[in-house]
Amino acid sequence: MSKKRTGVFVCHCGTNIAATVDVARVAKEMADESTVAFTQEYVYMCSEPGQESVVQAIKDNKLDSVVVTCCSPNLHEKTFRDNAKRAGINNFTCEIANIREQCSWVHADKAKGTEKAIKISRSVVRRVNRNKPMEAIAVPVTKRAMVIGGGIAGIQAALDIANAGIEVVLVEKQATIGGRMLQLSETFPTLDCSQCVLSPKMVEVNRHPNIRLMTYSEVQEVGGSVGNFRVKVLKKPTFVDPDKCKICDHCTEVCPQVVPNEYELNLNARRAIYIPYAQAIPASFTLDIDACLGLNPIRCGKCKEVCEAGAIDYDMQPQTVTEDVGAIVVATGFDLYDQENMPEMGGGKVEDVLDGLQFERLISASGATHGHILRPSDHKEPKDVVFIQCVGSRDPAKHCAYCSKICCMYTAKHARLYKKHVPDGRAYVFYIDIRSGGKGYEEFVQRTMEDDDTLYLRGRVSKLYRKGDKVKVMGTDTLTGQNVEIDADMVVLALAMVPSKGTVEIAKTLKIGRDKDGFLAEAHPKLRPVESVTGGIYLAGAAQAPKDIPETVAQAGAAAAKVIALLSQATLNRSPLIAKVRPSHCTGCGMCVDACPFIAIRLENGKAIVNEALCEGCGSCSATCLRAAIDVKNVTQLQIHEMIEACLA
Amino acid sequence: MINIQDIRDTARDMLTKGEARIVIGYRRGTRGMLAEPTFITNPEQADELVWDPTCFHNLSLYLVHDRKFLAHMRQNPGAPVAIVAKGCDARSIVVLLQEHYFKREDIYIIGVSCEGTGVLDERKLAPLLNGAHATNAAFDGDDFVFTTEVGEKRMSAREVLADRCLECRTPYPKEHNIVFGEDETGRQLEAPFAALTRFEAQGAGERWEEWSRHFDRCMRCFACRSVCPMCYCDECVVDSITFPVTAGTTAEEKASRIKWIERSATRSENITYLMTRAMHLAGRCTDCGACERACPVNVPIRMLNNKMEREAREKFGFEPGASIGGPSLVASFLDSDPGDFIR
Amino acid sequence: MSEPQADFEPKIVAFLCKWCSSAGSDLAGVSRIQYPANATPITIPCTGAVSPMYILSAFNKGADGVLVSGCHIGDCHYIEGNFLARRKMHLTMELLKFIGVEPDRFRMSWVSAAEGAKFAQVVTEFVDDVKKLGPQDKLKKVVST
Repeated sequence: MSKKRTGVFVCHCGTNIAATVDVARVAKEMADESTVAFTQEYVYMCSEPGQESVVQAIKDNKLDSVVVTCCSPNLHEKTFRDNAKRAGINNFTCEIANIREQCSWVHADKAKGTEKAIKISRSVVRRVNRNKPMEAIAVPVTKRAMVIGGGIAGIQAALDIANAGIEVVLVEKQATIGGRMLQLSETFPTLDCSQCVLSPKMVEVNRHPNIRLMTYSEVQEVGGSVGNFRVKVLKKPTFVDPDKCKICDHCTEVCPQVVPNEYELNLNARRAIYIPYAQAIPASFTLDIDACLGLNPIRCGKCKEVCEAGAIDYDMQPQTVTEDVGAIVVATGFDLYDQENMPEMGGGKVEDVLDGLQFERLISASGATHGHILRPSDHKEPKDVVFIQCVGSRDPAKHCAYCSKICCMYTAKHARLYKKHVPDGRAYVFYIDIRSGGKGYEEFVQRTMEDDDTLYLRGRVSKLYRKGDKVKVMGTDTLTGQNVEIDADMVVLALAMVPSKGTVEIAKTLKIGRDKDGFLAEAHPKLRPVESVTGGIYLAGAAQAPKDIPETVAQAGAAAAKVIALLSQATLNRSPLIAKVRPSHCTGCGMCVDACPFIAIRLENGKAIVNEALCEGCGSCSATCLRAAIDVKNVTQLQIHEMIEACLA
Repeated sequence: MINIQDIRDTARDMLTKGEARIVIGYRRGTRGMLAEPTFITNPEQADELVWDPTCFHNLSLYLVHDRKFLAHMRQNPGAPVAIVAKGCDARSIVVLLQEHYFKREDIYIIGVSCEGTGVLDERKLAPLLNGAHATNAAFDGDDFVFTTEVGEKRMSAREVLADRCLECRTPYPKEHNIVFGEDETGRQLEAPFAALTRFEAQGAGERWEEWSRHFDRCMRCFACRSVCPMCYCDECVVDSITFPVTAGTTAEEKASRIKWIERSATRSENITYLMTRAMHLAGRCTDCGACERACPVNVPIRMLNNKMEREAREKFGFEPGASIGGPSLVASFLDSDPGDFIR
Repeated sequence: MSEPQADFEPKIVAFLCKWCSSAGSDLAGVSRIQYPANATPITIPCTGAVSPMYILSAFNKGADGVLVSGCHIGDCHYIEGNFLARRKMHLTMELLKFIGVEPDRFRMSWVSAAEGAKFAQVVTEFVDDVKKLGPQDKLKKVVST
């Protein structure tokens, strides 16, 4: 084996390194290493002349490997590796020693800092000594995408990807797409009709040649990795053929089973066979098997009897389909914080205390009360309505620490729409602050506040309770310093936005992280807002954080753009620093198989075998193996051993 | 009470019918009362099998030897190997099966329960015989009965039990193909990990005092490793001598060896060896005690493995040798694993 | 046991996971938070990749303290690596304590990429604690001069 010829390039980084590390001494100490054939210092190694000097040095001194002692590898590892490649050596024989962020910037004592810089540099020289040349692994990319969640985020992402010529599978758990936006009456600040804006997009999704819509379906299992995911989707039986259903209503009229209607937030009831909304897509009825009297044996059968279109099929079976896709967008939306968690606000047990979505359904012309604002208890029109903001939000002690962002706006909207429907009514809004940062938002809120009969009270509500046929609201107005007691006919709570139940489940299935509040975790809070930490999986909408519709649509477009970029490549380059087995030492005990977080190892003929497409190079297998029979390339146990020695010399 | 004839009949039967190619069991040794391992291939040899309190060896070691021999000769197992296994030994076999060291159908476990009485530590016996020589030892309920030249001596098994038997919870071989003896699992003479608790009651200074003397005494003869069924690795990571070199070994492979410790039997190197071994046995050691018994300089090696077993049981709810199908201790985790020590 | 000397500077090896703790260390650097220079970092893909042998080897080669730092539980970039690490490091810690090695010489911490200040604090406290214990001589290989 020919002697190693490593070049060590010590960067001054101006005075960033040179001020607190004796760079000349670092270079000198490295020159004493037996594998180092050349050392050089430069003021800014990453600059054009700096990089050129490295290329020249490699060529002139026939170097086969490079160590650059400089800033964090996060910044310039790729730069220097590409540079090494230009000079004719393999890019994986170039390593970075971080003597800036982890040394010169944090230690003022030059003597001590220099000692540490020498140790760090020496350990990387020892590591690079055993680096093998590597080539990135080219993996073919499946040019299809999946969007999980059919609300406005999912719909927008699906349309944007489909319009780029890529086939999209859109999976939605409910019987219709549309999500929360379909439950809204009007949207702020323009007050245009939510369904009118959303319906054309829903129809477009249904008709798009590149979109395969799977409603009433749930993702069960996901395998594979970026560019090559294999997803198992369970299609639950609706027992109605959407191609034949004429939405004539006859079936629903004869169905004897009545259950609370979750689409109307339980403000009214539906039958076991139902259509969620008039604008549902797919435009078809669905038979809820849990509400139905039973099909096995058939206990009722009336809906099928009256269906003239012959659309009802009791023999429909659940189907599991496997979809191969290259990228996934998760857009599973939000729920509202459970009122049960707020006993001081009635705990969900006080009548005529509603949440924001329920209020939307009251205002909506297609809702439970046909657009008339009526109290659920006695169907009378409420003349005094109290709106309470920040219910469950901004409360680090007991509930959610964060601000749910949209409540100030929709509460103002609710107050305005309430006044439109009930001109002689009085609206009270309890608030802490007003957050109205979007286009036209501040003006919208100001106009609401200017209405004489809408009273904005800066203060919190300590409790509310039922008294007779009123809801007594005990609050405070901090601007006047007075306590306020209101006998309300109806109370609307702006409850915190929390990640939906489906979001929690899909995060487990996809193995993507969630942040401290349970929302899907983005790869970087500032610079990578639509990517999860896992390659190939993107995030959009309220599942990632509370946001309004314009932000959701923008984020969905951003996620779509990322997907399109990813899938525009024929092959993907994966890092080759993955696990490798030494069959001579492997006894087939299977510990690595169990330890691997990615199920990337299997036993075959008594030996472990690594699936190169799945291995992420984490090294869990290597630390578990008792025999050092499996190791991560270029991060081997031998290399670490020699680095430890270098650190303690 | 176990009738040795049943064990002999089983062995004879299997060998006659060709259902086993070899039966690993115990026979009377060539000197004195102690039993020794035996490997019988002829039905006639079945009569030499014994079962008495001196059957303390963990015979599963020989399953490992057998497999290595077959691999070396490139032979297939053929008919199964039958093995006489006590409760503790059967758990060792479970660990070997868990690690796919051989297939279940290649082993026929003749389970023998010590019925909670345990087996003998002859070092404890010697002082109690008052100079007499024992030529035979027998089980009798909770007692051992020794035949000596000055007559029969009966004593409570407890007085001369191997340490591990005092705290044993599994005298009955749960994994077996056929089993003899009763399941007297409830009979515990000392609390689990009693000896460990006594040791850990000392302060860190005293513990180091004691262990540093042990480490100094160790001569790195590797007897503990040789006698351990779990130490079946062809190459021991902490012993540079064991690197298997064949015609096909490349220079690069030779250069890739990691020399974690020096060969010299000095304190620091001995510590690394013994602690590495303890870590590697965590969740795998089933406390057969063979290591401690084999050590020529009386290092209490078992205690290190015991400590790991206690952590496995108490902190991770993990029992070594309990199930063939489950993952090993260090290849799995629970959400409830303790993390208080982490800042 | 040696007496802690006034000018004793502990030698510490710190295994930092690439995605969280090494990034957290970088953030400490970007924020110019000062801390003692006694801990030399070795960046590994994940704390799950830290073999107990690394800890033993570090002490054998004379480390006065060993630090292992990774992502918080539930946040591991490789999903489960730090869960596996938690178990192995617990066993390592218990074994070291068992034979009488001072528990303060081996430390594990969870430091995320956003916790630059915490990283500096962990190192500062660790260096202080190890200083009080003096040089490590129980497991250190004695090299003849």
